[in-house]
Amino acid sequence: MAADPTPPPRIVCDAVGKVFDGGTEAVRDVSLTFAAGQTTALVGPSGCGKSTLLRMIAGLESPSAGRIEIAGAPPSETLRQAGLSIAFQDPSLLPWRSVRGNIELALSLARRPARGSEVDELIALVGLDGFADTRPAELSGGMRQRAAIARALATQPGLLLLDEPFGAVDELTRRQLAQDLPRIWEARGTTTLLVTHSVTEAVTLSDRVIVLTPRPAQVAADIEIDLPRPRPEGIGRSEAAKVLIERVFAELTEAMAAQDRPLAAQ
Amino acid sequence: MTDAASPAPRRGRAHGAWIGVAVIIALWELAGRGLTEAFVLAAPSEVLAYLAEDWRLMARALGVTLANAAAGFVIGNLAAVALAGIALLWPRSQRIVTGLALLVFCLPLVATGPILRVFFGPGPGPQITLAALAVYYTTLIPLLVGLRAAPDSWFDLVRSYGRGRIAALVHVRLMAALPYLFAGLQIAAPAAFLGAMVGEFTGAERGMGVLTVRAIRALDVEMTWGLATVATAVAILAYLAIGALARRVLLDAPPVILAAPAAANRGRGWVDALVVLALAIGLWGWTIWAFGLNPFFAKGPGDVWAALVTAPDAAATRGVIGAALAETAVFLLPGYLAGLAAGAGLAILLVLVPALAGTAMPLAIALRSVPIVTTAPLVVLILGRGAAGTIVLVAVMVFFPTFVACLHGLRQAPGQVMDVLDSYAAGPLARLVRVRIPAMLPSFFAAARMAVPASVLAVTVVEWLATGAGIGSLMALSASLSDYDILWSSVVLVAALSALGYALVGAVERRVLARYAPEQLA
Repeated sequence: MAADPTPPPRIVCDAVGKVFDGGTEAVRDVSLTFAAGQTTALVGPSGCGKSTLLRMIAGLESPSAGRIEIAGAPPSETLRQAGLSIAFQDPSLLPWRSVRGNIELALSLARRPARGSEVDELIALVGLDGFADTRPAELSGGMRQRAAIARALATQPGLLLLDEPFGAVDELTRRQLAQDLPRIWEARGTTTLLVTHSVTEAVTLSDRVIVLTPRPAQVAADIEIDLPRPRPEGIGRSEAAKVLIERVFAELTEAMAAQDRPLAAQ
Repeated sequence: MTDAASPAPRRGRAHGAWIGVAVIIALWELAGRGLTEAFVLAAPSEVLAYLAEDWRLMARALGVTLANAAAGFVIGNLAAVALAGIALLWPRSQRIVTGLALLVFCLPLVATGPILRVFFGPGPGPQITLAALAVYYTTLIPLLVGLRAAPDSWFDLVRSYGRGRIAALVHVRLMAALPYLFAGLQIAAPAAFLGAMVGEFTGAERGMGVLTVRAIRALDVEMTWGLATVATAVAILAYLAIGALARRVLLDAPPVILAAPAAANRGRGWVDALVVLALAIGLWGWTIWAFGLNPFFAKGPGDVWAALVTAPDAAATRGVIGAALAETAVFLLPGYLAGLAAGAGLAILLVLVPALAGTAMPLAIALRSVPIVTTAPLVVLILGRGAAGTIVLVAVMVFFPTFVACLHGLRQAPGQVMDVLDSYAAGPLARLVRVRIPAMLPSFFAAARMAVPASVLAVTVVEWLATGAGIGSLMALSASLSDYDILWSSVVLVAALSALGYALVGAVERRVLARYAPEQLA
């Protein structure tokens, strides 16, 4: 039973594919290596299979082709050691537990005792001071997502998987979180995978952006984000960032267009 | 049919309920005093006077019945939890478990009572068993729904920290199931009281049921009304007490659950039904063999088959039972349909006149908990032993759950869809027909299914206690004449027909829901 934070792992996806029982092909032949301690954003059109890829890396779904290794072992091993955290699109807070209760549940599930005021600091970090003892039903959608982010960070995982965690967060908080979260994973050296719809967020938060095609998800482009770390405030408005954002947009547009051709041929 | 998010009844509604109760008592008093020649009606003051005089007798009987009901309540609910546990550990068994549970629930209490009486001999055995039989199903069904009522992502969360099914059970399932368990217990508490009373009808020494039989035989109007009043009060108090406990423990009001959700897959339905049938017959034969029961009264599957098919007098037996069933059907079907129509109709009416709903809804929810069968003697007193009394009783038995379910369903009409209709300036009728009634259908059919065994229970009890006609009377008669071939054959046929009726309503339900509420079948 892991009592200490796990070190950030290196992740290898080798020709990974996923076909669901109903015959839907979500992911096809994805080969990617994520360096330990790096933040990678996965962008692509809605419903392209980004989340499925993330779930396979989390070990919640098994690939129907290819193989995934986290720190040289299958994802089930990372799961067994409680070495990862995942924040879902749906905050998935248990309604009968307060914000604090939900975070403490994660710690207890991961068999990690809370240290000192750790939980309160996390709650403050996501801007929920004063709501620690509030139940999810009384929080706004954005506040719930922030609570879910706090919960994901609580276990200090080596691998952090974020599936559109800012979807319902308001613009102001989003900007604040975009400032604060990278500090955490920079300080801890967490390996982070971030699924997002926002190209700006993908560029400003990560070291690398993977553009995926429409379903089944395949790698359309792999773009290095060589912006300085730690990211200064307002990096999204810098020339370098703008160039990168335009490039990701261009790749995304091309990936969408590539999809239209085989469709037209059918 | 669940609605975990519906808010707890507010104070205003509670006031409405009290006003409703006061109005009913006032009307009852007026009728009792005004219609003095209607000597079948005892006014509340007369009932109170009777209770004040004979309270010792009543209290003794109530104590006995309550003790039996409590024992049955505990046993039945433990059985329900155990069955739900089996279905949870081995998900593929769920349909088998619920099928067997339904079949046992369809056994006519009127006949299982005498059989249990012979089996247990004197003592509280049959009362406790019948109380347990009356409650386990109403707890099992919500529990099964509740244990699966958590979204997948909660289980993913548990898994993502490397934890398995036990952690999911402790941290997610049990907590998520708690409101559903309370919903079941709330219905089960009055049902246990009913079961214990029916058990006492079968020849116990003491208890409310014994007094009821005595009062009917003696045509003692005050005593009959007094017993029914006490039984009703106990049922409502038990219902309210568990509701109050639930509100202390839970965040939300218990969800309204009336029946198992409609089964979706047709393909395996027949296979499961056959497995259930085989298991039921196997268990039945095994029980008789394992307990070494006297073959004179304990008839096995082979005996019933012989009595109905191969014996020389099989045709006569079939004739007797068939005639009794036909006689019962004449009361049962109109009562069942009238109850459904009245329940749905009144619910629709109330939605059109929302001012009334505040009074009617809590009252109906409370009255739903009344073991209607305990009021059977009253209905018979008032409407006589003919067809009217029986049909009305069946209709009343069906009416309350249908009404509550339909009102609940009508209110579930999605707010945004209603807003869209509003934006087209659709009138109340268009809203009703296009949104509310389709939203009501799942609840309506769930109630209609559950009403099948309930109406069979009602009709057989009335026939037994009062009218002396039909299958209920035949079962009672054959029990007292020790004609166990007829008794067991009747039990088997009634249970099978109830289950078949349940399945038929389920089939209609699937066809209708496939069109109006496909998400219910997902």
